[in-house]
Amino acid sequence: MDRKARVARLVEHVENPLHKGVLDGAQVVMPGGSPECGGSVTVYLKGDGDGCIEGLSWTGQGDTISMGSTSIALERVLGEDLTMDEVLDFDYEALLQEIGRDVIGSRTRNATMGLSTLKSAVRKYRRNRLADDGQPSKVESV
Amino acid sequence: MEQEIQQKGYAYPEALVSTEWVVANLEDTENVRIVESDEDVLLYEIGHVPSSVKIDWVEDLNDPLMRDYLDPEHFANLMTEKGITPDTTVVFYGDKNNWWATYALWVFRLFGHEKVVVMDGGRVKWEAENRTMTQDIPSFPKAEYPVPGRDDQKIRAFKEDVEKHIGKAMVDVRSPGEYKGELLHMPDYPQEGALRGGHIPGAANVPWARAVREDGTFKSADELRGIYEGEAGLQQGEDVIAYCRIGERSSHTWFVLKYLLGYENVRNYDGSWTEWGNLVRAPIER
Repeated sequence: MDRKARVARLVEHVENPLHKGVLDGAQVVMPGGSPECGGSVTVYLKGDGDGCIEGLSWTGQGDTISMGSTSIALERVLGEDLTMDEVLDFDYEALLQEIGRDVIGSRTRNATMGLSTLKSAVRKYRRNRLADDGQPSKVESV
Repeated sequence: MEQEIQQKGYAYPEALVSTEWVVANLEDTENVRIVESDEDVLLYEIGHVPSSVKIDWVEDLNDPLMRDYLDPEHFANLMTEKGITPDTTVVFYGDKNNWWATYALWVFRLFGHEKVVVMDGGRVKWEAENRTMTQDIPSFPKAEYPVPGRDDQKIRAFKEDVEKHIGKAMVDVRSPGEYKGELLHMPDYPQEGALRGGHIPGAANVPWARAVREDGTFKSADELRGIYEGEAGLQQGEDVIAYCRIGERSSHTWFVLKYLLGYENVRNYDGSWTEWGNLVRAPIER
């Protein structure tokens, strides 16, 4: 896929985003990015209580890279049925390579905004679960 | 064409050109260079004004290592590559009401490039008027551009300048939420860019986009005076410093105050809140 095609793929994901919308019954609603400057996303997450994702969606506004990359990242997560552990292990570099380093340039933060917000959502989900179970919250590695 | 701009009563109406003027001068690539500079960095690839070149503020105008703008040699090289000579009229336009276009223009002015103008209405107006956009990347002969000096004194403010300026005319062009420090207090909100929220003591709050109309064009001089002088209390002749988060939105306000309202001494504090809000013992108001 050449650079032009990689740009076109991102544009396609912006014009027809996947998994976009508010998720009813989400247990975690996690904001990311900066709405005032550069774009922002909100990730909605529902877990099945057993380490798997039962529901996942996102909303947001921002540039082509951040919005397109968020759609691509969440499609990967849901398409490959990743567990929460696997989401936390999802390598940012792999995502950047897939989208195209030559397209992203220096806008790495924009490209990983959705994935990093999803990871924050997973961590929050786990902290909440521990709190609900009456256990002291663990310090999680980033 | 330019009558509409003239009628807005600006101090320097020649700092703006209309979309019609750009259409009329598209072929004059020897004397005019159209530059697109966007927040959404892929917009140029998706489609741009014919014969325009892209200048990415991050990739092209910044020092790659230190938080600063590029040095004079790199600026001269960039001009050579884009086919721009010291005599070229550079027309800036972009998305978000020409926000990044005015930032690029401000950097060009650091290096003393004289002929800089903004296409009033920017990308959104060009599109709304259904004008031609292309994906063709133009190629221009390399131009001669002597290495210029870079003057950071006239239009750029540093932390030390701001410290001395507290109590004098200052404009914070961020949103009211950022100005009040509220955005950093929302639960779960990622701490974006600063450890503390609020504003520099004494700064008035005029969100940058108040300077433009729905169609992306700048408001008239009277309307702008009503905002910056009537509401925010600025006075002609004052030495003003504008800031935001990294100096990008405030360059838009710098352009408005300097070229449209004719304030002689306006400086952009590009360190802005990412510097001030992280600075040990910097005074803050909420």
